[in-house]
Amino acid sequence: MDAPESKGTAAPRQSDEQVTQSLYAKQEKIYPREVHGLYARLRTLGVLGLLGIYYITPWLQWDGHQAVLLDLPARKFHILWFTFWPQDFIYLAALLILAGLTLFFVTAIAGRIWCGYACPQTVWTEAFLWIERKVEGDRMKQKKLDAMPLNARKFRIKATKHAVWLLFSLWTGFTFVGYFSPIVELGRNVMTFNLGPWETFWIFFYGFATYGNAGWMREQVCKYMCPYARFQSAMFDKDTLIISYDELRGEPRGSRKRSTDPKAVGLGDCIDCTLCVQVCPTGIDIRNGLQYECIACSACIDACDDVMEKMGYAKGLIRYTTENALEGLKTHIIRPRIVIYAIFLAVIMALFTYSISQRVSLGLDVIRDRNRLYRETDEGLIENVYILKVLNMDAAAHEYELRVSGIEGLQMYMDLPEIRVPGGDVLELPVRLRADEAELQERSTEVVFELVATDNPDLSVTEHARFLGPR
Amino acid sequence: MAEKKIPRVQKCIAVLWPSFMVAIVATGLFFSAFDPVDLFPFGNETGISRLGVYTLGFFAFWLITAVSGVGTLYFAVTNCLRTNADKQP
Repeated sequence: MDAPESKGTAAPRQSDEQVTQSLYAKQEKIYPREVHGLYARLRTLGVLGLLGIYYITPWLQWDGHQAVLLDLPARKFHILWFTFWPQDFIYLAALLILAGLTLFFVTAIAGRIWCGYACPQTVWTEAFLWIERKVEGDRMKQKKLDAMPLNARKFRIKATKHAVWLLFSLWTGFTFVGYFSPIVELGRNVMTFNLGPWETFWIFFYGFATYGNAGWMREQVCKYMCPYARFQSAMFDKDTLIISYDELRGEPRGSRKRSTDPKAVGLGDCIDCTLCVQVCPTGIDIRNGLQYECIACSACIDACDDVMEKMGYAKGLIRYTTENALEGLKTHIIRPRIVIYAIFLAVIMALFTYSISQRVSLGLDVIRDRNRLYRETDEGLIENVYILKVLNMDAAAHEYELRVSGIEGLQMYMDLPEIRVPGGDVLELPVRLRADEAELQERSTEVVFELVATDNPDLSVTEHARFLGPR
Repeated sequence: MAEKKIPRVQKCIAVLWPSFMVAIVATGLFFSAFDPVDLFPFGNETGISRLGVYTLGFFAFWLITAVSGVGTLYFAVTNCLRTNADKQP
């Protein structure tokens, strides 16, 4: 590990550091120092895993189609063996509620674990920081480069960095559009410069958003733009996992030689090396207590543990802990808010799973012919005309049988010899119903259409409609 | 002047960012209920694809939500100015 950069002062920034008017607020540019350790490895694992999932998923095939394709142009969402239609919007809404509740639940137990390890803002910022380090060098080199006047070398390095960032961003945008429009075709169109105007627009739009958020805005997104960062404290209590500096153990802070016994000179365990500040991606000093800027990335834990080891002190001067534990009290994992969140989660998840399993992949819409209320046939029967829309939401083709009931002696005539609908298709089926006027009690009588797949009686739907007559 | 204390870029983001998020939700809700193809009952003569209609719809929603955001910001800032003016002797 590098030698600590400055000693003896807790002031996090040196005055010669440049103050930039960055995209959002006037502030000093943050150069997070690279950190190694247990949590850094976990975070790298998380970043690689999540980026891998993001970039690989749209290329996966399932049963002859893209495994995850939210096909907006065709208005069908394919997720593995499921096909969702706009009518299934309720499932998407339920899924979002589930995701939100899970976030609340996890936050109450483990604090801002999401921010530190899984949030796309963190994940892409880590990737961009890695590129920056590969191109510009470590923290000191980056600072030096930024401080020097523009010359050929600086221009070359900066141009390289931005070129790599932009390429990575465009690839990210391409992948994003690949979730909504078949990616193989999309890739072919990119190669042959045949990309449609809207796809092109979204690739650049999303690419630009990635470049701006992960390259330029970074921690400012968390500090100023993220709604979760503002309200997450509402889920916190004294038993929530937080990252904290052990003030009792660390203070009074101060530099000392390795051989010095801190007790003899009246010092705590903090040697005031400011490494915890240097590694912080949001540029705060964790020793000032819990702050809303802290995204719980645990970089300071790794940095401090390393120093403690070198000094021969116990690790964990900065550690994952709870407010109760810091005060020497017992930490309770099971507490009312956890139980309430858990119950909500379990109930909604059970309802969601149940309704997905009970979902019939068949839809029926009955529309009355608008031109005429009814017609009298040559035989003196009353005739009503309907258009049936049969929506086969299953992947396989099916043949269906249509039955109708509600009026004694009701006759049904179809123009098609059979009702056969290919997988994922809609059939418009004109149907005429004829009834004896004597059987009609009112001007409007309810009739019930029942559609059943001939090969699977579970695939059935009923739909109500009105039969109009002269009475 | 309290207004001067908020940098213009912060005002822009305060308007554009929340309206962006709401516009995404509104676009999702609207187009899951209405198919762009059905929005042109007499034939789509513009030749804009579904993806194009979604895109234009999204920006239309963003414009509307952003206008509402500008209104909120305007009233919040002018109210703030008036309150501050009252406090001063």
